[in-house]
Amino acid sequence: MVKFLKQNKAVIILQGRYAGRKGVIVRSFDDGTRDRPYGHCLVAGIAKYPKKVIRKDSAKKTAKKSRVKAFIKLVNYSHLMPTRYTLDVDLKDVVSLESLQSRDKKVTAAKETKARFEERFKTGKNRWFFSKLRF
Amino acid sequence: MVAAKKTKKTHESINNRLALVMKSGKYTLGYKTVLKSLRSSKGKLVIIANNCPPLRKSEIEYYAMLAKVGVHHYNGNNVDLGTACGKYYRVCCLSIIDPGDSDIIKSMPSDH
Repeated sequence: MVKFLKQNKAVIILQGRYAGRKGVIVRSFDDGTRDRPYGHCLVAGIAKYPKKVIRKDSAKKTAKKSRVKAFIKLVNYSHLMPTRYTLDVDLKDVVSLESLQSRDKKVTAAKETKARFEERFKTGKNRWFFSKLRF
Repeated sequence: MVAAKKTKKTHESINNRLALVMKSGKYTLGYKTVLKSLRSSKGKLVIIANNCPPLRKSEIEYYAMLAKVGVHHYNGNNVDLGTACGKYYRVCCLSIIDPGDSDIIKSMPSDH
């Protein structure tokens, strides 16, 4: 009886090109909109996970391995698997509905999301989120 | 063994309560609508048949854990659960949205 598909919830995308990738809910539309008459949400996720960084990597190698590719997508609730994890990265100002309107707005939003994800990864927190789901 | 063999008495009482919900309350039958009701936080109790595939059972239990909703494992398979709901088809899982006159929500979580 508790709503759990809220902002900052970590989810796993189940369908589509990004199936099996982890993401975080940025904004949820429980009752849908005119164009999408079903519950859906704006998800910012990881398209390419960062590689495993080991201690003997040089600084250059660490930087190369810690790169993340992000995506932004509107996903139907039934194509998501919610998890018990959350990721509190502030993406509200960067990712919005209007950033999905045109290709270059989407690219800039994705680049900014990538930067925020990378800095979160480098702190070493939310390790689950940045690890690839093996299946 | 935890939870000794369910006596006939409690099993009948669940059936009675379920029949009352069917008559006076709101419910949805079936896996897709159960997940929908859990996502929208409308479901209050979820009942799963005992021959539900284990992956599906775990998935429903996980959703219910996130939504803080009770899950009851019905002592019977989907055929029995369908009959208990008064339907002529199999029901693997169901979600009670509004119990109506029944006290199934209040009595079940303590039992389970």
